[in-house]
Amino acid sequence: MRRLLRWYGASPLHLLTMLGCFALAGYAAAELLPDNAVGIVVWFTGAVIGHDLILMPLYSVADRSAMAVFRHRLPSRPAVPWINYLRVPAALSGMLLLIWFPLILRLPARFPATTTLSLDPYLWHWLAVTGTLFLLSAGALAVRLRTCRSGKRKGRGPRCSPHRADRSAETGEL
Amino acid sequence: MKLPAAPPPGPFRRSFWRSPIRGPWLTSVFGLVLLASIPVMFVTGLLSYAAYNPDLGSVNDLTPGKGLLGFYLFSWPTHPVWLYRLNQGVHVTLGLALVSILLFKLWSVLPKLFEWPPLRSPAHALERLSLFLLVGGAVFEFVTGILNIQTWYKFPGSFYPLHFYGAWVFMAGFVVHVALKLPTMIRALRSRSLIRELRTNLARTRPERPEAGDLVSTAPAEPTISRRGVLAFAGAGSALIALLSVGQSLGGPLRRTALLAPHGQDASGGPDDFQINQTAASARIRAAESGAAWRLTLGSDNQVSSAPVVLRRADLLRMDQHTANLPIACVEGWSTDDQAWTGVRLRDLARLAGVPRPSSVLVQSLERGGAFRQAVLSHGQIMDPDSLLALRVNGMDLSSDHGYPARVIVPASPGVHNTKWVASLIFRR
Repeated sequence: MRRLLRWYGASPLHLLTMLGCFALAGYAAAELLPDNAVGIVVWFTGAVIGHDLILMPLYSVADRSAMAVFRHRLPSRPAVPWINYLRVPAALSGMLLLIWFPLILRLPARFPATTTLSLDPYLWHWLAVTGTLFLLSAGALAVRLRTCRSGKRKGRGPRCSPHRADRSAETGEL
Repeated sequence: MKLPAAPPPGPFRRSFWRSPIRGPWLTSVFGLVLLASIPVMFVTGLLSYAAYNPDLGSVNDLTPGKGLLGFYLFSWPTHPVWLYRLNQGVHVTLGLALVSILLFKLWSVLPKLFEWPPLRSPAHALERLSLFLLVGGAVFEFVTGILNIQTWYKFPGSFYPLHFYGAWVFMAGFVVHVALKLPTMIRALRSRSLIRELRTNLARTRPERPEAGDLVSTAPAEPTISRRGVLAFAGAGSALIALLSVGQSLGGPLRRTALLAPHGQDASGGPDDFQINQTAASARIRAAESGAAWRLTLGSDNQVSSAPVVLRRADLLRMDQHTANLPIACVEGWSTDDQAWTGVRLRDLARLAGVPRPSSVLVQSLERGGAFRQAVLSHGQIMDPDSLLALRVNGMDLSSDHGYPARVIVPASPGVHNTKWVASLIFRR
């Protein structure tokens, strides 16, 4: 028994928990799968790798590129974590697109006929929200830079420490 | 084949992941939010499932193979009248808001996908398989739900069974994940003070110690954002998503604030212009059958003792009229304010059909297709004094899109069970 557990690699309680988990999942899957087993397995697998192998590389590359571009184009960059004023509005806008792309791209063809509502506004709403987010962010950056400069003149400047990350290699990660 | 003990270059090496803030503490904060929220999603989901009264018969049951998974089912109540409205508003709005937290949580545990060696022991293999159920199930549930509320039915099957059985697969993975990780989460949360983190700016942000866990980078880059910054980032995402969609569940003047939600637009105006999900045209209701030629058939399951009663709309209008202020609440999360419905009580129609104490009623519509052309209502739903066969709403005749000549309205019942364009009511003893 002890040898068996050493081979298994964890306590008997661990094994019991696992068996309970797979019993329940299997019970549900037995009803979930029969109609379209291939489609559902493809969807589950896609759901597992969707973020880690598709979405994450995309947003990492975008983040890294933005950092690199501004570093080369703007030799005297502001001494604040300016990248966040770019990545926060971009990420929030991206999340809204990720959730609402069917409406934004007018994909549910029967929606107007069944609800009497129009598919037209969603794209404009999304663009308007995106624009507002970037404007707010630009405003916040302007305020930050201003308080930073006036703070420096008065000999205070703890909030304006040079952007340490500007000196190190970019990671493409938060 | 034997794998090398040292991980190959690339994501399998800890030094590949350079985020200076990734670590057990940050992951545990996101985990704690999900630990509090996912049970709310599960319970509201189970309640919504019960609200369809699937036990009343095959007509209501979209998941006939549920077996033990329906162990908790109960007869859905009719009060408070806003029960289903609240339940679905919470389920859908909270679910949308959690997308942000889920994405940050997935980002925070990314290196775990590239563990080396990939499988250490049978126990480790089972654990990774349970993570397949957890992550696959979570994303599957979010995606099917989010696509369904936009009426873009691209998932591999019918929404109800997919979302219901998928939820149980997800919960199997969720429960086991909580059981295995709860001690780790508590330890990580205790390792740093939340208050102190909220006071730590970027300049003073330091990585966690590498001994704190595999998630901590062994080659951290300089931080570009503080931990409190990331928490605010994720929270802002949730708040923005919720603010731009909750209006479709609150209704009234706030509906227009739901800039990104399917039912954030006002209908064109007028007393009967509230939200719908099925027009008469899309249900292919012909004017000839809903006009003067329309008849309501009242029957009972015991046709030997009583012939069916056939009524014209004028006959119904001559019966006792009752008015009830009730909302329409859809499984998709949108709802309307209370509307003043006027019509004949279902229990009066039951008596007329010769079944004064019916156990249930089968309501059939003029609709020809669709899973919801008919529904079975429970004894409690029939006997509620506010359960009506409505003929008018807000002081005028129903419009064709709201179910003219007559529709069912039952308090706290899902929208699709308030059958429109009713053709017959068959009461069961």
